[in-house]
Amino acid sequence: MGYAFACATSFKSGFCSEQSKMTHMLFLKDIVPAAQNNINTRFIILDKGRAPAANKGKSCIALAADETAAVHIQLWGEECEAFEAGDIVKLTNGIFSYVRNSGLLLRAGKRGKMEKMGEFTVAFVETPNICEIQWNPDPANPKRYIHSGVLSAFSRIFPPLP
Amino acid sequence: LDSLRMENENRIAASRLIRVSPHEVENQLELSLRQAYESLDPKLRPPFSLEIPDPQEYLELNKAIAFGVLCEPDSCKTHIKHLHALVTDGYALFTSLLVGIVVELYVNLVDSAKIQLVWVTKEMVDVSSVGIEDLISLLLRRIGTGDYSDQNVWLCSELVGLFLEKWDCLLDDLPLVLTSVLYCFLRLLADHCRVLGVVKLDYVKRLEIRFCVKMFREQLDLCLKIGRDLVRLLQDLSHVSEFREIWNDLVSNHCSDIYKLRTSSRYFVLRITPEMETKLRFLLGNVKLGSHKRHQIWFLKKFLLGPEKEMLLIDIVRFICCGIHPTNEIIRSEIMPRWAVIGWLLELCRQNQYIERSVKLALFYDWLFFNESIDNIMNVEPAALLMVWSIPQYPHITHSLLEFLLHIVETYDIARRDIIVRGVTSVFREIERKGVIRSLDIFLANPALAPDLKKKLANLFSCHQEKVTVNLHQLSVPSKQTCLSLDSNLKECSTKI
Repeated sequence: MGYAFACATSFKSGFCSEQSKMTHMLFLKDIVPAAQNNINTRFIILDKGRAPAANKGKSCIALAADETAAVHIQLWGEECEAFEAGDIVKLTNGIFSYVRNSGLLLRAGKRGKMEKMGEFTVAFVETPNICEIQWNPDPANPKRYIHSGVLSAFSRIFPPLP
Repeated sequence: LDSLRMENENRIAASRLIRVSPHEVENQLELSLRQAYESLDPKLRPPFSLEIPDPQEYLELNKAIAFGVLCEPDSCKTHIKHLHALVTDGYALFTSLLVGIVVELYVNLVDSAKIQLVWVTKEMVDVSSVGIEDLISLLLRRIGTGDYSDQNVWLCSELVGLFLEKWDCLLDDLPLVLTSVLYCFLRLLADHCRVLGVVKLDYVKRLEIRFCVKMFREQLDLCLKIGRDLVRLLQDLSHVSEFREIWNDLVSNHCSDIYKLRTSSRYFVLRITPEMETKLRFLLGNVKLGSHKRHQIWFLKKFLLGPEKEMLLIDIVRFICCGIHPTNEIIRSEIMPRWAVIGWLLELCRQNQYIERSVKLALFYDWLFFNESIDNIMNVEPAALLMVWSIPQYPHITHSLLEFLLHIVETYDIARRDIIVRGVTSVFREIERKGVIRSLDIFLANPALAPDLKKKLANLFSCHQEKVTVNLHQLSVPSKQTCLSLDSNLKECSTKI
């Protein structure tokens, strides 16, 4: 039963081997806002929001997380239907920045892509949420943001389950 | 644009074996099989090379042939002949590739590949390949519970047909595999015989009954190797006319012996799909209590939606008790304990009395015949802790479980009540002795429990004349072991009972 058990128990090694294969795979806690689409990471989707009426079919916001932090992600177009809560998603060349009227969002953007790579097997945390953090431009380098406070310990859009 | 086109071509090529979604990462196993096939293509047609391949090429050839067998129905006989000619390891590698395909790819296999998979499994049975028992077990695990889709009914009937067809061969080489098959089809029949109005099940039911009856009539000793759970399984079919005589014979002549035989946990995994197993092990090995709610919702949505899926709860509970034994390190941590998951699963079946009774029986089954020299305390620990930890805030759960247990002791097998009383009292003694609970006072002297329930329990102990110390303290603190396993995260439990 060697192979079968290896599959069943490989969830721990999966991410680490991914990390060694890809360059700059980040944990969510290490992502900072920037205007660059160079974010490579993986997370599990916790909850998918309903798309606001005006945006139906175009985009929606979801809560995602990994072992280190949580984040709000934007699903765009087909992505809205392609991913469900419980899906583990690999993001390549994504971008984490302010989106008009929606705040800080992690998304694939024009140059990135999101792909499902599994389900269920991530032991996530819902705090801190890197979108609920006060980011200020670094006085030394205005293109960089630094963490200067916490707006909310948890997502204000998707509060933790009671 | 070029890379996009190549990507699309890759996707279309992948669709020979599996259905692909545009938003999923490429599966590495499928990729490696396909690449082996494409690169070795000229070598896969006769005349076959007579050179002995080195280990790397042997691996690639096996992968290529596996892909060819599953994707090319017209050439599969040629591919198999090639395999017979070059095999040097008793088909071990080839079979392990098939096992990997069933574990990782079965859900997405295209229909023609599934047909081929059953075909090649028969070929592997014919040659008694190394690892064929693993392949058979995994295919059995792919028969879903409470799934009456054409796909699932097809798989079920194909497999039972395979086992009837290959009966002699399996009996000679792998008789224990036939016991696994029997376990599965007895469980499935219990489901198929209860559900009404699904006409497409008639044919598969007849085949299943034919297989099971043949096993009992011709290989009774083999059937009995399953052990005590055979009684639990057969009881659910005792109302079916073809099984009535078999049931009566079992009860009259064999029960006393098979009660003593603990059923190996390898049977319980047979009704759990690989995905279910992965998720249950993850839940019970990695998810902290308090952070478990979303995982539970996802598990529910994936596997337990719909009344016909409730039968699965019986198998999941049995599997958790006997097939998942967390290490001491996990028990002492904040990770979700088994009793909490079982408590949740029990809540899910409160609507259906038959399911609720069956789930409780699955939970307590090892209690009934417990023998400390052959049984494992880890099989009985979840029920014990569920009863203890429910007392502060959900005493009705403890009541319901204790009442069920006491009722079962009296009614499960009246002729052999003494065996069952001995079993259950052994459990209570062992869980106290080994520190699963600090003291039986948690039950016997607890003000939260109804007096007549406590009295019945005390009677049970005294009638078997177990040396059970009954302290007069009103309050007991659960054992240190259980205390350490739950911290303040657990809002529902107080530290004093």
